[in-house]
Amino acid sequence: MATPIAMPKLGITMEEGTIVDWPVGVGETVEKGDIVLVIESEKAEVEIEAAASGVVRHYYAEPGDVLPCGSVLGAITETADEPFDATAFEQEETAKAQEAAETLAARPSSAVRAPSLRVPARSPTSSLRKGRAPATPAARVRARALEIDLSRVGGTGPAGRVTRRDVEEFSKRRKDRVTVAEGVALDVPRHGEGVPVLLLPGLGTDVSAFAPQIPALAEKHLVLGVNPRGVAGSDAPDDDHYDVATAAADAVAVAAGPAHVIGASLGAAVALEMALAHPERVRSLTLITPFVEAGPRLAVVADAWCRLAASLTAEDLARSLLPWFFSPGFLSDDAARERTARGLSTTVARVPPETLRRAVAGLHAWSGTRVADLSNVAVPTLVVAGGGDLLTPGASSIADAIPNSTLVVVDDAGHALTIESSDAVTQALIEHVTAHS
Amino acid sequence: MSRTLSFTDAINEALVIAMRADEDVIVLGEDVAGGGGRQDQGIEDPWGGPFGATKGLIGEFGAKRVRDTPISEIGFVGAAVGAAATGLRPVAELMFVDFLGVALDPLLNQAAKMRYMFGGKARVPLTVRTNVGAGNRCAAQHSQALYGFTVAIPGLKTVIPSSPADAKGLLLSAIRDDSPVVFCETKTLMNVEGEVPEGDYEIPIGEAALLREGSDVTLVGMGGTVHTAVAAAEALAAEGVHADVIDLRTLYPMDEAAVLASLEKTGRVVVVDEANPHCGMASEVASLCVDKGFDDLDGPVKKVTAPHTPVPFSPPLEDAYMPSADDVILAVHEQLGWNT
Repeated sequence: MATPIAMPKLGITMEEGTIVDWPVGVGETVEKGDIVLVIESEKAEVEIEAAASGVVRHYYAEPGDVLPCGSVLGAITETADEPFDATAFEQEETAKAQEAAETLAARPSSAVRAPSLRVPARSPTSSLRKGRAPATPAARVRARALEIDLSRVGGTGPAGRVTRRDVEEFSKRRKDRVTVAEGVALDVPRHGEGVPVLLLPGLGTDVSAFAPQIPALAEKHLVLGVNPRGVAGSDAPDDDHYDVATAAADAVAVAAGPAHVIGASLGAAVALEMALAHPERVRSLTLITPFVEAGPRLAVVADAWCRLAASLTAEDLARSLLPWFFSPGFLSDDAARERTARGLSTTVARVPPETLRRAVAGLHAWSGTRVADLSNVAVPTLVVAGGGDLLTPGASSIADAIPNSTLVVVDDAGHALTIESSDAVTQALIEHVTAHS
Repeated sequence: MSRTLSFTDAINEALVIAMRADEDVIVLGEDVAGGGGRQDQGIEDPWGGPFGATKGLIGEFGAKRVRDTPISEIGFVGAAVGAAATGLRPVAELMFVDFLGVALDPLLNQAAKMRYMFGGKARVPLTVRTNVGAGNRCAAQHSQALYGFTVAIPGLKTVIPSSPADAKGLLLSAIRDDSPVVFCETKTLMNVEGEVPEGDYEIPIGEAALLREGSDVTLVGMGGTVHTAVAAAEALAAEGVHADVIDLRTLYPMDEAAVLASLEKTGRVVVVDEANPHCGMASEVASLCVDKGFDDLDGPVKKVTAPHTPVPFSPPLEDAYMPSADDVILAVHEQLGWNT
């Protein structure tokens, strides 16, 4: 369970505060009542106490940032290794409020005018395709001031409209950009310090897919989440397709030296390509639900995904993917399913339809080209597979073909292993990375 | 020092203060004396109009300064305009704003135009007190919120207090203003009580009040809908949504700076007005935000108003007609994307 650290409202006139210092680092333990944050408001510095005992898991803002009262600034979890998704946490807080709102709306009103049934909102992405992102005037002004391309910002407002807050959060993330090629910078969120660990997300997702694994990895490593071209805050060069070899070269450019490389699904293809083309830059290799040849089901789902992304809202798109990503056992847990649907909505909202189309083209171009090369993989390799994975059912057989490899199969689990079986995956990753450090 | 007074008593107190301070102040209208001054006929306790706002005035100030008139709005409003143009400070009581139609010419073509047409040599220090709004089961001809009509006429000022303290201070300002001022009293607020300072004070015409502060959305209300907005803001706060609540207090000249400053902070505006939706204050506030606050808008401006229908007499329908706190909350949820 996570407890938020929020910007307090210290006086009737206080509207915002400036972050002065985080005296406690991410990953460190705090007791309820410890000073966890120092802010400045109306020329006075004020120390803020932790509302709960636990471990500081995430900071959403840095010293110098000015934020309105009530903003979520950080999160404390009860233990260091419990699953925690920074993005989902923010969203959960919103969801709680939404639930309250629905209760309110259901209450008999003194007014007869009940909320009418609403047609599902138009997709944010359908307008993006017309070249003009739906954005509020305030968001446009902020984007101009911060020199941000609005079509790159995922909108969370009504009907997917980009709001001022979306632009500001995008700007914060942009600090993490790393130039990987001429005119191409990727959005690479960093966590922790030490030997680098590269996280390569699968098709149509961003590094938030690894959110449950990041805190544990960041305890002893520099975790670099590589958002591929066109995803989240990464640049989207106007190429026909985003091929796997280029993605591997981008990942090499992100880490200064040899790194532990962890890829999921299409990210595993990129990781494999790295191990074959740049073995000197790979300390250890982890392939989660990998494939070397796209099967018919994966091809059909990828095609449908591209089509749906152009017309559905992010949430509807996420829900349509649930049966392909998760096992029946996971989906039968209502709370987990709803939480995951919301988390996945945010994730897929960061991948515009055009990026998805280019990535699928890259996937098809690469598919089948490395089948015979698996025996040439010369780095210590871990393969993690889901026993009930519909999309990459041949993952286990890849381990058989790679010398010096270990296979971990999570019984009955589906394709989105980092989320569905987050603890098992985290444990396998830590063991593998630690064994080869 | 202050004490608790009802809205009606606060208005009564303002009239007494103004009449004691300036003998040019007179009161006229239907039933304002309400049988007072007829002790010879056995009437000793004048009731002072339908809400009692002028109760007791005739006893202190006499029948010359507190005049009951025939039921002819064009007659007594016209007389009041003439009295104002020739040196008095009349306070005319148009019992219900619904009767504005029959009194419109003296207001529209005389009171509002004289200062302009005579090059500033004439002034019309007239106050028209009038009752507005639905909610009291008064049916379609006694329940309208027609202040948008007078706001639309250049040369008139229009105010609408939401609390007894503001009612007293705004009425004193209105009486002492050298322009004609329409002073709107919201029916459902007449028995509402509140702290009212003692003595003589004025609330400036043209100044809105920020009643509650929040950074997520701006709720703009006027008269009765200020209370609707505050109730909505309280419920929203429980959901973690914090609202600025602005009480316009003066409809013309509107305090544009107050609305724009709040919009700059919150990015979202919901206007709550119990008038009908077309060509009204809600549209006026929305237009201001789009025109002068465009770059601060982080979502569409929402109007929460009565529907475009007459006020129903059926109590359940009348309740449905009035903008409610739930309607305001729904509008805010829509702006936040919670309903879509």
